[in-house]
Amino acid sequence: MSGTGPVEAGEGTLAHGPPPAPPGPPGRLARRRRTVLATAAALAVLAGVGYLYAGRPESRPDTPPPYPSQAVDLVYLDPVATPRTATAGPGFSFAVALSVRSGPPVTVTRLGQPYAGLSVASSPAAPFQTKPHSVRRITVTLRVTECDKAPRNPGLPFLDVTLRNTRAIQVHSFILGPRYAQHLSEALQVACGNRIR
Amino acid sequence: MRQRSLIAITAALAAGALTLTACGSRDDDGGSDSGSGDGTTVVIGVDAPLTGDLTALGLGIKNSADLAAKTANKQKYVDGVTFKIEALDDQGQPSVGQQNAAKLVADKSVLGVVGPLNSSVGESMQKVFDSARLVEVSPANTGPSLTQGPDWRTKKVRPYKSYFRTATTDAIQGPFAAQYVYNDAKKKKVFVIDDKKTYGAGLAGTFTEEFKKLGGKVVGTEHINPDTKDFSSVATKVKNSGADVVYYGGEYPQAGPLSKQIKEAGAKIPLVGGDGIKDDTFIKLAGAGSDGDLATSVGAPVEELDSAKKFVADYKAAGYKEDYAAYGGYSYDSAWAIIEAVKKVVDDNGGKLPDDARAKVTEAMQNVSFDGVTGKVSFDEFGDATNKQLTVYAVENGAFKAVKSGTYTG
Repeated sequence: MSGTGPVEAGEGTLAHGPPPAPPGPPGRLARRRRTVLATAAALAVLAGVGYLYAGRPESRPDTPPPYPSQAVDLVYLDPVATPRTATAGPGFSFAVALSVRSGPPVTVTRLGQPYAGLSVASSPAAPFQTKPHSVRRITVTLRVTECDKAPRNPGLPFLDVTLRNTRAIQVHSFILGPRYAQHLSEALQVACGNRIR
Repeated sequence: MRQRSLIAITAALAAGALTLTACGSRDDDGGSDSGSGDGTTVVIGVDAPLTGDLTALGLGIKNSADLAAKTANKQKYVDGVTFKIEALDDQGQPSVGQQNAAKLVADKSVLGVVGPLNSSVGESMQKVFDSARLVEVSPANTGPSLTQGPDWRTKKVRPYKSYFRTATTDAIQGPFAAQYVYNDAKKKKVFVIDDKKTYGAGLAGTFTEEFKKLGGKVVGTEHINPDTKDFSSVATKVKNSGADVVYYGGEYPQAGPLSKQIKEAGAKIPLVGGDGIKDDTFIKLAGAGSDGDLATSVGAPVEELDSAKKFVADYKAAGYKEDYAAYGGYSYDSAWAIIEAVKKVVDDNGGKLPDDARAKVTEAMQNVSFDGVTGKVSFDEFGDATNKQLTVYAVENGAFKAVKSGTYTG
């Protein structure tokens, strides 16, 4: 068989254009072609849809928003001047930055501190809301109510913040670090001197 | 003839595509070991106590690291690289851990190590790994000196560039516990006990320091021998001290019997400990009297982390016999940090591991950052986790229940 081509040209082996049209009425041929093409298209679409369906991301129920404590950062900034009020005495004021990293807006419904002998207030006063991907500056003021019960020099003092979003309401402690601890201790010394135990 | 062929080809293509999609839809079951076939195998060493008293924690570490490797292989996360776990048993002993470190260093296919559990074991391994520039990521070591040097209270100096950890440190855990005990639980007189080991003594130290700063009183201290289970004489001393709380620096195999014997001696006061006692085995050993006992542990409660829920589901689906325990999420994240570092090195080197892969992986680890099981995973200049969350758990009706969580943002 060497030197000879195929007896009948196989699919795709034709060098020049399509073969002559087979005998038969042209209208019937066109209908058959249309049927074939429509069938092929339908199958291709079916296959495509099936592929896309099977390859889709795993269907999951709507992902709930994060718990507020997992969406919020609260960091210590610096001491600031204590806002003057008619009823309250001197105190130790500092600024913190509250940021909401993700999820829905988060409302601070309460801002507290755990130590007996101290009271806390904030500006803005709770409740206040912070939008996602934004940062809010808050001024916190601590006042000594009883020197005997105030801590001496807490190493890692924290604020207890009640946070609420559409997922949950939680009390979370934010441990503000050594700078806050140092500034708080200094303020307590000034406020109470040697009256602290 | 051609028309018939066209129909046949189209049908075959459609059927083929449908068959492929059907195969794809079964991608979830099994085959988690499937790697890249003809690519490179990278071994992630694991060192943990796989036998002895601390097995529950150690096997949780091993299985969770294994799950991370299998997940990476299944996802073909690093092109051309198949990850494999090589787990060694340190029995909770520093000397054994050091031998294991040498073994892992000798295996050139090991490019990172997850572990160990115990800080004392970690101390014994650090130098061996660092000399070989082999990166180590501990999911559980909490001793501050491991990352911040022996004088961490006054001057922080990182001793080893190859050591990282995903758990937070006792420099925070101890004070966090003290704050809760003093302010929330309103306990003012503590009896402090430790097991004389790096972790236990260190944690008891940071707790005591903060408790005293807050105004609390230490009415007694004792050290126990972790090789015994008879703590009756210590229990009597606790009873006679007038303490309203006991703080124990150590692990659950001793903490459980200690709690039980203290109550049996007549001191119906809570025992408080750190992450080393936060295992269900503690409650089993301590018995019904343990209701009210407290433990701090690293991280937020699992139910608050959606990423942790997925980990829990995947762990269950993988069919591990043992629980992932206290450090499962941190172990998965430690292994995944190594995988991320390897990926970075491979990507930066044209898709292949370089000759000095260990050094490059160690270098890459410093800048690793990803959303892990336990939250955002990245490391600070000391190799400590930047995500520093802690939770207080109370034993209620025979189970640990989260009562308060905190985040260090200093």
